[in-house]
This record gives sequence, structure tokens and C-alpha cells, in this order.
Amino acid sequence: MNRNLLRILAALVAVAAVALPAFAGAYPLQVARNVILYMALAITWDMLLRSGQISFGIAGLFGLGAYASVLGVLRAGMSPLLSIAFAGAFAGLAALLIGFLILRLRAIYFSIVTLALAEIFRIVIQNLHDFTGGPEGLVLDGVILGGSASGLYWLTLAGLAVALGASWWFEKSKFHFALTAIRNNETAAKSSGIDIFRWLLATFVITSVIQGFLGGIYGQSYGFATPDSVFDANFTLLPLAMALLGGIHSTVGPIFGAVLLGLAAEWLKLQIPYGHLVVYGVIIIIVILFIPGGLYGLIKKANRASEGRKA
Amino acid sequence: MILDVKKLEAGYGKLRVLDGISLSVGKESVGLFGPNGAGKTTIINAIMGIVKPWGGTIEFEGTRMEGMATHLVARAGIALVPQERELFPGMSVADNLELGAAWVPRGKPIMARQLETVLELFPILKERYRQYVGTMSGGQQRMVAIGRALMANPALLILDEPSLGLQPSIVAEVFDRLALLKKDISILVTEQNVRESLRAIDRGYVIENGAVVLEDTAAGLAVNPHVVSAYLGI
Repeated sequence: MNRNLLRILAALVAVAAVALPAFAGAYPLQVARNVILYMALAITWDMLLRSGQISFGIAGLFGLGAYASVLGVLRAGMSPLLSIAFAGAFAGLAALLIGFLILRLRAIYFSIVTLALAEIFRIVIQNLHDFTGGPEGLVLDGVILGGSASGLYWLTLAGLAVALGASWWFEKSKFHFALTAIRNNETAAKSSGIDIFRWLLATFVITSVIQGFLGGIYGQSYGFATPDSVFDANFTLLPLAMALLGGIHSTVGPIFGAVLLGLAAEWLKLQIPYGHLVVYGVIIIIVILFIPGGLYGLIKKANRASEGRKA
Repeated sequence: MILDVKKLEAGYGKLRVLDGISLSVGKESVGLFGPNGAGKTTIINAIMGIVKPWGGTIEFEGTRMEGMATHLVARAGIALVPQERELFPGMSVADNLELGAAWVPRGKPIMARQLETVLELFPILKERYRQYVGTMSGGQQRMVAIGRALMANPALLILDEPSLGLQPSIVAEVFDRLALLKKDISILVTEQNVRESLRAIDRGYVIENGAVVLEDTAAGLAVNPHVVSAYLGI
């Protein structure tokens, strides 16, 4: 497809996304917020995946961000907006410290350790009763932006914009080269002068900052944080399913996946309550078996084939 | 000397592979010959920082290198063409070549000039410039691997068994190119195909059981009775 046409299409989608509150009610806006939040998380998951490292730690850093934000308001008297920025910084700092320890691991070993992150954070927070409220969590005096449906939608959209911007920067900067090289062949990457650990650490910290930032937005948007709500495994599993369905190693793939799976989930929740999770599982299996490149991968393949025929 | 290795010892776990190897490379092309398991690749891995030496010294352009991280060795000016080619199969020829120079201070500022040199040396890469490397033949991939290493404008080019898995006509082509390169660059090449590689080297070492058993010029090795019977099959 023509590149200019794609740019115009992307601009139109962006304008429509910003203008959505003008013609959508509270319920569609709530659904859109969910889709956008998961989309942003899916993009950050994919950004690290471009180095070949599969993280199951999204929920951990997201939940950490949510707590940092709520605690920032309650314990340090921060403004809600500042607390969201603080949430990103706190998750980034945690990722920096953890990254030094776990980024020497590879493949399944790295994945298993990241899987444990959410659980470790949840247990620690649950047991710091006096500071974090324990299992009951913490409740804010009010919701950010006065709980306005449009305001909360735009705030979440801003979170997505940060994730999109970072992902686009990764695609256009030296990150793309470094991460693709590391994913393809670590020995060749090292022999080409790439400091693998430094690039992995930078990627892990940047994606964690965004995940924490999104957690902060979530905590402020709902006005509370409990261990069970913000460390929910769905914050890891759904973004992963969305990125796989849409297509990995790109910004566009997770966007496709999040829209499709997010809307399908809303519909399925009404048709078969809780059964939608089974459908997620089936979708992941089908995609991995039959379309490992995801839907965006299929489109790219078809595009290349048609260009090949023209040539 | 460009590279000066003294009494190098290395191994894997408890297995000693190198037992005090000493060798040097000046402004010349040097071959390392020996049977499978002699320790040729281990010498290279130790120089590149992929394997940590147990003892001995490695000096490159006057700087001690033993135990240095691989990416720093590469940035210092040593480029490796590994045995298994070790390319980036999901990337195009263009990207593979650019990656060879992107992180190396000696190569980055003159990337365009190096690219011209590489494409002149291997014209097939110009034709396949946008092709994914994973879809290319073994011989072409070997050329990409050598091209990528040259992009770094290295002071020393190391090739680990460049003829491995290639058909004879391609092997001859690869060594023809190396013979051209040795005028401008120091080369250290390990090989089992001694007959072909003697054309591209000035000097060589024969390694057996982790030690140097013979050192001579290419002409001397070609007539040495041990080399003739063990490696040239005459």
C-alpha cells in the first residue's frame, strides 16, 4: 500500500481516537480505555521481545506503578499527575536494579524469573500492612480529573501516546539495529561491537518505565489499588495475546491485536462470562500454530507477494 | 606486531584445550592449521573474549586484551568471521553490512567507503543487496560474513575455517579474495583445507593437541614432510 495513504489513514485514526469522547457515551469510552491500556502494555511487551527476551513481568511493573502512584498521593502529598510520572520513575528504578541481576539470564530462565516478579511484588506489598494497606489495599479520596469519562479517556490515550512514541523511536533509532541483531545472533552481535547487556538493560528499563506509568494512570483512574486488582495476571496475559494475534516485532501488530481482541472480549464477556478467557487461549494456540507472524505478518507477506508479482 | 599471544592456556570446564600456545601476527596473513579438536577455534575464542583464558597474555596493538569483553575486542579493531557464519538471517545484506561498522569507531566514520570496497570485492552482494541473508546460499552467506567483518575497517581480520561446508569452486573464490585482502590488512585464518589456504597466507602454525608443533612460511609448510603427509594428502 502507498506509504502516504498509510500516513493519512494513521492521522485519521489518531484524530478519531482523540475526538471519540465527542460522540461516544460513558460505556463505549470505558471499553475504549480498556482497549487502549492493554494496547499500550502490548506495545511495551513487544518492545522487549524485539531483543528475543520474553518477559512475563508486565503485571509486576504495572502493579508497582499503580501502588507507587497511589502511595505518592497518600503518603507524600503528590498531585495525582505528578504521582503518575513518579510511578514511571519508580518502576524504572526497580527495573534497573532487577535488570542488573536477571538480564544475564536468557530464554526460558529469564521468562520464569520475570513471571515471579508480579508475585513477589504482590506478596511484599500485601505484607507491608501499615504502609500499603495490606490485602485491602489503598483508596484515594477521589479519582483524578474529577472522574470525568472524557478526561480519563484522554489520560489513558496519553499513556498510549507515550508507548507509541517510544516504540516508534525504537523502530527508527539504533535500538532497532541493536535489538534485532541480539535477537538474531548474540555471538555475531557481540563480535560486531554491540554491548548486549547495556542494550537489554536500557530496553528493560524504558519498557518498565512505561508499564509503571500506565499502572499510575490506572491507579489514579480508579482511585484505588489492591494487590489482587493491580497485579492481576490479566495485565500480563492479555497484552501478550494481543501482540501475538496482531503480530510481533512491530508497533502496528499489537495495535491490531488489541483492537480485535479487546472488542471481542467485551462481546464475549456478555455472551459467555469468564468463557472469554478460554477463547483467548484458543486464539493464542491457533496463532502460534498457523500464523506465527500474526495478522500484521500475514498482511506484510501478502504485500510482499503482490509486489513480487508486479516486479 | 599487531597481535602477540604468549603462553596462552584455555579450556572448557576441567578440559584443558590450549597448553601454552604462543603465536604472533604482524602486517601479514597467518594460517593456523590442525585437525579437529586441536584448539584452533579455542585460540580465536580466547582472542575474541568469547572464552576466558586460564593463563598467558594476548596483546593487540600494544594493549593487553586477555579477558576483555567481546564487544570491546571488536571495537578495538579485531573483526571475526566465525565458523558457523553467525549472520543476522532475518536482516538484509545491507543491514548485515551496516551492522558490521555501526558500533566500531574505526569503521563507522568511513562506512560508505568500506561499503564500496566490500561490494567491489564481492559483486554478488551488490546484486543481492536487499535480500534477506537467511534465504541466501552458504557461499553467499560466507561472503556476507566476510563483508560484515571488513565493514569495521579492522586492523586484524580473523576467519575461523572459512571453507567449512562450501563447494570447492566457492572455496577457491573465498581464498582468492583473501589473497587480495592480505595486501591491506592483517589476517589470521584457521583452516583444515591447507592446500587452498596456503595460497592466501604468508606464514603458518600447525597446532596439535593444544600446542604449536610447527611454524614456517607458506612455502616452507608446502614442502614440510609432516604437513605434506598429514594435511596435503600426498
